Amino acid sequence: MSESESDGLQALLAAAVRRHLGPPGEVRELVRLTGGATRATWSFDAIVGEDALPLILQQSAGAAAPATEAPIEGDIPRVLGARDAALLAAARRAGVPAPRVRIVLLPEDQLGEGTVTERVQGETLGRRINTDARFAGVRPELAAQCGAILAAIHRIDPAGVDFLGTQTAADQLATYRRVADLDDHALPAVELGLRWVAENLPGAARACVVHGDFRNGNLIVGEDGVRCVLDWELAHVGDPMLDLGWLCVKTWRFGGPLPVGGFGRRDDLFRAYERAGGGPVDPAHVRFWEAFGCIKWALMCMHRGLGAVRGERRTVEAVAIGRRIEEPLLDFLDLITGEGD
Amino acid sequence: MPASKPEPAALLEATIDYLERELLPTLTGYHRFQCRVTVNVLGQVHRELQLGAAQAEAEEARLRALLGHAGERDQLNRELAARIRAGEVPLDDRAVLEHVRLSLMEALRINNPKWLEPTGEP
Repeated sequence: MSESESDGLQALLAAAVRRHLGPPGEVRELVRLTGGATRATWSFDAIVGEDALPLILQQSAGAAAPATEAPIEGDIPRVLGARDAALLAAARRAGVPAPRVRIVLLPEDQLGEGTVTERVQGETLGRRINTDARFAGVRPELAAQCGAILAAIHRIDPAGVDFLGTQTAADQLATYRRVADLDDHALPAVELGLRWVAENLPGAARACVVHGDFRNGNLIVGEDGVRCVLDWELAHVGDPMLDLGWLCVKTWRFGGPLPVGGFGRRDDLFRAYERAGGGPVDPAHVRFWEAFGCIKWALMCMHRGLGAVRGERRTVEAVAIGRRIEEPLLDFLDLITGEGD
Repeated sequence: MPASKPEPAALLEATIDYLERELLPTLTGYHRFQCRVTVNVLGQVHRELQLGAAQAEAEEARLRALLGHAGERDQLNRELAARIRAGEVPLDDRAVLEHVRLSLMEALRINNPKWLEPTGEP
């Protein structure tokens, strides 16, 4: 992002703040944050009346990234803009610490699709959450806090968010099969993974609102624990055990020694989920989603890496993600062969 | 064409050294992150220059042994992938699992050697 692009954004954002929140709408401390591989996230303070409001601008891929990322968009529906805002509101009503939305961007804002939410203080970087001394006291509590939050997410009334599509495990397998075929990078490990998933699909599961990307890195953590759950764009109606398994995928442990996000134990997660009314947890069922999660992440890496090569703009971040494909594939092999145990 | 000097690895080493030791400490936020990713990517290219050819040869030899005929690596990988997809290989086939594991570990030695280090509880 060049200086002039950043200036352009600042002016548009100030106009949007005036339009939605009131004058003077001055924008200060505009900083692009590092997270969000598919979306641009900005931190800023907005002057409204006498107050300086700490806010976050989240622009969805349509505005922030080249259109060449489109192929996966059609396959994996994303919850963006006004729908994202409605989902966040429903989550807050269910007792989930989700961002409070202040602005849903409109076409006249010229900032693409997206939202402005209140900024919550805390750490999002997984490695820091797992290693910084200031989180040492709360780290042993995080897995249980995640279990209770997931139970609340799975209680969100689907009727209130009827725009969410349903995706069963079989639907997701079909989606990722299409991604693998689209990218046409024949890897024996990927084929092993997709076949294992097909042969181990769980039987009928409950259908709940699931977050879809609940993991270390999408949580804001403070010294008191999890303060906010971010990045709801992959939310859908599906098997709630997906969220528990995804949280255990090794990629999201950021080098931490424990299986739940690098910071906690599966038992603490499962027991807290059950205590909070999430329903009984079958560890083998969660492990299916952890293993499938490895394959999904591998194909996301492949798709982003090769998509960038196909497209007009090869960002260094995208090509680097392409080279991460072997990490989850090896983790998957460890899981299904019991090597890691 | 005579081989140009300094050799590619030396060009990369000097570039990585500049980015990591001189540029990175001056950066914050978005550009610091992007610069760190850039250093990692150049490290991958550097390790691929060192290890890539020998790994390709080893993988090709394993694929020939597994599939029982000659061919080039990409084509043999495609064939093995197709056989697995078609269900012609059992999911617990030890030789195939061992080969796939070795190939992933070789790639990780280039792309992210740290992933091969042991990390705590499974």
